Amino acid sequence: MYGKSLLVGAALLPGLAVAGHAKEDWPEPVKEYYTGQVLFDRLELTRTNEEENLAVWDMMAWYGGDYHRAVFKSEGENVQDDGEPTDLESAELLYGYLVSPFWSFQAGIGTRGTLSSDASMENYAVVSFMGLAPYWFEMDNSLMVNEEGDVQFVSETEYEWQLTQTSYLQPRIEFTANLTDSDKYERQSGLSNLRVGLRYRHEISREFAPYIGVYWNGALGNTADEMKRMGEDTTETGVVLGARVWF
Amino acid sequence: MSNEFNKGRRKFIKSAFTVASALAIAKVAPTWAAPQGRSFKDQILTNDEIDLTIAKSPLLVGNKVGAPITINGQMPGPLIRLKEGQRAKLNVTNRLSEDTSIHWHGIILPENMDGVPGVSFEGIKPGRTFKYRYDVEQNGTYWYHSHSGLQEQLGHLGPLVIEPKDGDIGADREHTIILSDWTFEDPDTVFRNLKVAEGYYNYQKRTIFETFEDVRQQGLEKTWKQREMWGQMRMSPRDIADVTGSTYTYLMNGRDSQMNWSALFKPGEKVRLRIINGSAMSFFDVRIPGLEMTVVAADGQPVKPVPVDEFRIGVAETYDVIVQPKQNKPYTIYAESFDRSGYVRGTLTPELGLEAEVPELRQVPERGMAAMGMGAMAMSGDMKGNSMNMKHMGGNNSHMTHKMTHKKELPVENIKIKHRESGHGAGAAMIATNPVSRLHEPGIGLEDVDHKVLVYTDLVGAHEWPDTREPERQIELHLTGNMERYMWSFDGKKFTEVDGPVQFHHGERLRLVMVNDTMMDHPIHLHGMWMELENGQYPRPRKHTISLKPSEKVSLLITADAPGSWAFHCHLLYHMKAGMFRVVNVA
Repeated sequence: MYGKSLLVGAALLPGLAVAGHAKEDWPEPVKEYYTGQVLFDRLELTRTNEEENLAVWDMMAWYGGDYHRAVFKSEGENVQDDGEPTDLESAELLYGYLVSPFWSFQAGIGTRGTLSSDASMENYAVVSFMGLAPYWFEMDNSLMVNEEGDVQFVSETEYEWQLTQTSYLQPRIEFTANLTDSDKYERQSGLSNLRVGLRYRHEISREFAPYIGVYWNGALGNTADEMKRMGEDTTETGVVLGARVWF
Repeated sequence: MSNEFNKGRRKFIKSAFTVASALAIAKVAPTWAAPQGRSFKDQILTNDEIDLTIAKSPLLVGNKVGAPITINGQMPGPLIRLKEGQRAKLNVTNRLSEDTSIHWHGIILPENMDGVPGVSFEGIKPGRTFKYRYDVEQNGTYWYHSHSGLQEQLGHLGPLVIEPKDGDIGADREHTIILSDWTFEDPDTVFRNLKVAEGYYNYQKRTIFETFEDVRQQGLEKTWKQREMWGQMRMSPRDIADVTGSTYTYLMNGRDSQMNWSALFKPGEKVRLRIINGSAMSFFDVRIPGLEMTVVAADGQPVKPVPVDEFRIGVAETYDVIVQPKQNKPYTIYAESFDRSGYVRGTLTPELGLEAEVPELRQVPERGMAAMGMGAMAMSGDMKGNSMNMKHMGGNNSHMTHKMTHKKELPVENIKIKHRESGHGAGAAMIATNPVSRLHEPGIGLEDVDHKVLVYTDLVGAHEWPDTREPERQIELHLTGNMERYMWSFDGKKFTEVDGPVQFHHGERLRLVMVNDTMMDHPIHLHGMWMELENGQYPRPRKHTISLKPSEKVSLLITADAPGSWAFHCHLLYHMKAGMFRVVNVA
């Protein structure tokens, strides 16, 4: 009898929880669990060697089960007191699927540009491979293609040295490579940017951890050449003060 | 950090014995946990019909008011004493605002009385009473608990003792001790924390300074070798308990260490202690410094007496031990969480108000090569560990040799374990490429203690069980998990992913082979039928809950004599919730 209702249940609701569900009106003994999280990995104030002050965010939010998740990622910065609008480096909406124990594949769409009414945003399609590499390297690798067909690759890697049970030293490396030249967005092909940072973080709680840190940012290759030609600095250093926050 | 934390906590415990908490004892103490215990030939106070009311009520837990689920106003619930041969009549009334249930853990009964919502019945709706009726055909130490959601974490549990027909408890006096873990956090929050933030409750991780110290002591190469495996697997050797003393208050009969639950004895008396691990997530190492304990029953079933100094009790297991304190002095009953993040103590004492020295928490144990392989090998000549392997590691571990020291060869050692070519999917972060029998090992953190610790191979059934047939069939199940997303499953599939029950044929004798493809210990519980543990002893001990160590394989014999649907699951509450659950159908 149970077998029959199981078969019927399984046929009607493929992939849904029917295992061992003996009676239709009984609750499931174990249900699929859905939850979500908003994580600001970096929420910081930056003081650059140019004596500029920046507010910077780098966040991710997700909702879903163990395998399928809706993911929103965003990064950006605002130079304080310069009258310029906020620079949105990325805002992406993705669907993520857990392809192996430590890696999820994500695909979606994104936009970036300055957040002002007259600015035209750059829209793009993006795929990411995000997860934990051996030796606990936390990685997010993204490939983006915009409406002009320009292709860009961004890779972020973080590592954590456990200093005490509630404090960490965290190196971070991020690089950008352009696979194509882009006249519209003034991008030169090749490795274009490298950013290296180091943060010391102390957890007040698991959810709220202030940090201080330093970073070095440098333009590379053709991009650096172009900047030099224009008489711009190709490197920047800064100190940061911020917090890693999740809820 | 954790040591500081614990030291601070101990200090606090000593100083904070306030009037308020002293007053609260009377209120909080389950009435059954009276210090006198019970004496042999005492009148048996078994009501023919027992009424249990489930409600949520504020109660002092330690020195703070919590909101546990109470049973007849108590947490843990009342001690239910039944007698072998009687018909149990238990009426359970739900005064909660959500469904509830009671499962009688370890009791052989009809499937519709087993109390698992969705498997044996629909649950007990708010305001309703469910009448449990079954014939009691066994005796021993058992327990009962909710099988609805995470209610067990809120204290919805209690002891169940069944007296033997002849009333002989083999001792002059007996005490029942139920251990549990309490948190003031909402259990749903605990589960979410585990889901979204790996290692949330672990405050015993390896620090960079410990690595420096290891390099200084044993050189870079050896340190790297030890770290390499863990790094490749992306797992922590200090990942022992998912939920720890950082949120838990450990309780003995509902009281914390400061309240010091006390049990009386007269010097020279034989005292039977019925010890139940009613925790949601905590394995305990139990000892009474200065007293030898003789184990006489495991999971309610009699075993040939084994004298020990300490035993590890997995979640949901029970052990009966007999002690015979000769001196007129108090003894500490010490139950230490197996990750050493906390403990609870009580006192066995000739008169009330005394206490004995409380041992320090032992050092945080570590899984892995130092703890279970290379380091220990030189001392004991025994390869305590086994090879763990991440899927992509290939045969990197061939340098680890295996030298086991079994007296007897166990059936499971000759059973070839099959893994699917592809592993077990994204839900399983690891497969044990070379699982071994570890029944002769005391478990992590107890490898090198200088006294006798109970091991599963010590357990010998007190007598033969009725079914002496050889198994006709074999079923293999793998325990799998992925810590990063806190997914727990069998064969890589969570309960919500499987398309049918595990099928047992009614009347058959079968061998269940289980392989632990994870880095955690798991207490696996089968409802409705006994599992005879093939530990090389005869008669075999029989259990309702069997704890598997990482990369261990075990085999159990089961007589499928209970028609119907039965739950089969990991008894770590949050593992079960995360999907480590199956239905066994006997037909």
